[in-house]
Amino acid sequence: MSPDQEKLIAELVEKGLSGDMDPINAIEDRVLRSKAKSALAKAKRASKAEAASAPVEEKSTEENDTDTTPSDHPNQKFGKMIHNKFPNSLDAELNDTHIQLKPDDWFEIASWLKSEPSLHFDSLQCHTGMDVGENMLEARYNLHSMTHDHKIEIRIAVSRDKANIPSIEQIWRIGDWFERETYDMFGIFFDGHRDHRRMLLPEDWEGYPLRKDYVVQETYHGIIIPKVKEGWE
Amino acid sequence: MGILENRFQDNVVVAKLDKLIGWARSTSPWYFQFGLACCAIEMMAAAASRHDLERLGMMPRSSPRQADVMIVAGTVTMKMALRVKKLYEQMADPKYVIAMGSCATSGGPYWQHGYHVLKGVDIVVPVDVYVPGCPPRPEALIEGLLKLQEKILDERPLTRKMA
Repeated sequence: MSPDQEKLIAELVEKGLSGDMDPINAIEDRVLRSKAKSALAKAKRASKAEAASAPVEEKSTEENDTDTTPSDHPNQKFGKMIHNKFPNSLDAELNDTHIQLKPDDWFEIASWLKSEPSLHFDSLQCHTGMDVGENMLEARYNLHSMTHDHKIEIRIAVSRDKANIPSIEQIWRIGDWFERETYDMFGIFFDGHRDHRRMLLPEDWEGYPLRKDYVVQETYHGIIIPKVKEGWE
Repeated sequence: MGILENRFQDNVVVAKLDKLIGWARSTSPWYFQFGLACCAIEMMAAAASRHDLERLGMMPRSSPRQADVMIVAGTVTMKMALRVKKLYEQMADPKYVIAMGSCATSGGPYWQHGYHVLKGVDIVVPVDVYVPGCPPRPEALIEGLLKLQEKILDERPLTRKMA
């Protein structure tokens, strides 16, 4: 494109942006006309994006200012309901990511979460364990309600010396194998589980492999388990 | 074949019994049908119509009592190792083992950090043919089987072994 044409197109785009499309349509050279039109479309898009981005920035600063008001996140809302129904069951301050509970009343809380019509958590989407360090193990439950389409995450921390959590296997049947796997990998005992066996490893395996301080046993039925070689990493 | 030559009619074949038995065994090595991991999928592909193991005389058997060859297709965990050993012991002689894929030959990707993986199935059972690959293509498995056939053909089951 020659500089003259560029200049012409720039003028035409300016006119087009102000609403005057006649000069562009009047161009006889088809190539030049299409170039002008595409340049105009581009300019329009750019101006739109500019307009859209500006108010968003204002909004985000507003949000930062009003951070102190309580959020209506399900974990906060339902955590408060649990707290009202079962006082002293919360183990930590409520926040948006999860509800930290004590293990003691977990079975009663879980049956209430499922049976209470306004909550109706009918599906245990996931249950897993975690070694959170400082001698603590944690069980995590992701609950979802099909009727209300809301979900929460429950976390229950227990110490390694007394890693016992009430089993919810009879409330959500999917929890049967979930809890067996958590027991297998982390050594968290689920009191009241009707089939409390290892899930993946053999029954006579020693230790819980996903604990951070796990040490592999030396032999298994006479088969030597090789150590991780020094200096390979 | 000096004294026997031209003494029989045309449709009689004279051969060493050793070789005859070797030929019969090598052309019908029925394999034990069980898979442990992704290698089993390739084993199934090798058995299916495109590669067709039955043209080598190989037929899957669901019982170790009826099988001649055990194809260990996949990762052998410690839990499974005891069972693989038991299954091998249940097979009738003569019996052969093919370690298919890198897991069964050496532990494969779990060779260092897999605390639960047996580092090669040859720790618990004697292996005749190793087939490398992760997983090996059906062609590779078939080559392993042909190697096994060669090995069986070379055996002399009736000849007394010299010490």
